[in-house]
Amino acid sequence: MRPANLTTVLLTLIVALTFQLYPWSGQGVILRPDFLLVITLYWVVRAPHLCNVGVAWFAGLIVDLSTGSLLGQHALAFAFTAFLALLYQRRLVLFNRWQLSVYVFALLFVERTLVLILKLFADNENPGLSYFWPVLTSIILWQFMVLMFGAPTRPRH
Amino acid sequence: MLKGVHQKLEPQESPAFFVRGPSPFSRIMFFCALSIVLMAVDSRLDYLSQFRQTFIAALHPLEMVANAPSEWGLNIRQYFTAHSRLLIENQALKQQAVEHNVMLQRLATIELENAHLKTLLKGNAPMIPKAILGEILHMGRDPFSNVVVINRGSQHTVEAGQAVVDAQGVVGQVTRVFPFSAEVTLITDKNLSIPIQVERNQLRAIAFGEGKSNTIDLPFLPTSVDIKVGDKLVTSGIDGVYPAGLAVAKVTEVRQSPDSPFAKIISTPIAGVNNHLQLLILSMPTPAEHIEAAPASAGDATAPPVTATTSIPPAKPRKEKPHASR
Repeated sequence: MRPANLTTVLLTLIVALTFQLYPWSGQGVILRPDFLLVITLYWVVRAPHLCNVGVAWFAGLIVDLSTGSLLGQHALAFAFTAFLALLYQRRLVLFNRWQLSVYVFALLFVERTLVLILKLFADNENPGLSYFWPVLTSIILWQFMVLMFGAPTRPRH
Repeated sequence: MLKGVHQKLEPQESPAFFVRGPSPFSRIMFFCALSIVLMAVDSRLDYLSQFRQTFIAALHPLEMVANAPSEWGLNIRQYFTAHSRLLIENQALKQQAVEHNVMLQRLATIELENAHLKTLLKGNAPMIPKAILGEILHMGRDPFSNVVVINRGSQHTVEAGQAVVDAQGVVGQVTRVFPFSAEVTLITDKNLSIPIQVERNQLRAIAFGEGKSNTIDLPFLPTSVDIKVGDKLVTSGIDGVYPAGLAVAKVTEVRQSPDSPFAKIISTPIAGVNNHLQLLILSMPTPAEHIEAAPASAGDATAPPVTATTSIPPAKPRKEKPHASR
């Protein structure tokens, strides 16, 4: 696994943002993975010295701006999720790939739930259970990320 | 003596082996506080709209990159299907144009006559709204609200609060304006209400969006109300946002439940937001403007023939911040 550098991190985040901005419609909106969240989480686990709670917060803020939701909703959820990842980061890199996936799945679910709670507090309507579909598509995206950039876990000797 | 030194050293913490900056906990505390402050400011005060606009403008190039693939796809598909379809469409449009022209000839005379009668009665001159043609860029990215984003913004003199219609009826209202795009909240959104009139008997009411189910609700009408399934609801024009007489919805269900003093009236919007891309953004002229403009444009066939007979000052958004609660 090559050590991550800042350029790669920023580039992947910008690409993720572009995908996020793609004009999704119909079923796409329901199934769209949380591109920015997955990429941010990946770098939080793999290179916490480059991508930390602050970067996650900022990524969330950008999601807020691009979706037109209340500023700070996604930012708070992203930052909290990154915090949960960071809390056990040194243990996470010792996991194998599938154990890590399970943990990431839980994190993605936590983020969705947190945004849902914040939105309901802000008097938005309840979107129903289909709201949680992106957790599944996001975990698939995570596997793609692992395939492309390598698992963020330590190699076994 | 050595023991004493140990006692002094013991309470001290050893320096961290890895230098990682502030602990995750202090970071999350800081950013949590920041987000909560932001949410409070954004929902209650109006300071951040400028920031939002600037940012969306900065994001525009990236948005264009993101839009490019689907536009290419559309272009390629159009290239292959266009010719035969266009011929048919052209035929239909020509026929429609002839029909409309006949109707418009009558309209011009009727409008002149109407204006004349209105001046005789010292009433208000009809208001003829100006319109900007826009195209839908994408349905909103937020699954929580019914919005579409159109490709006209403050650079094309679009303002928040303007009514948006399509060929069939009212689509919604502009709620946020960015330099090159604008957000249109659909009439089915939970936060949007629209003053309507039943076409058949001129009964006035206020319609509210239902949210997810893509229907419109007419709450707080007594069970004895004279509304039947199939009634057409049109804008009443008393809000100064929507010109009077635009089709809004058709009543699909009237239900009376014994435990409620109100009838449950559900209607479906007439405008086909999901079917086509082009929308018209209407701007109501200010009273001074329309008194000057009305006689000159009374025979102007290009403007949509909609009139509003009201003395309420128009061109005002329904609320200062239509989406304050989001």
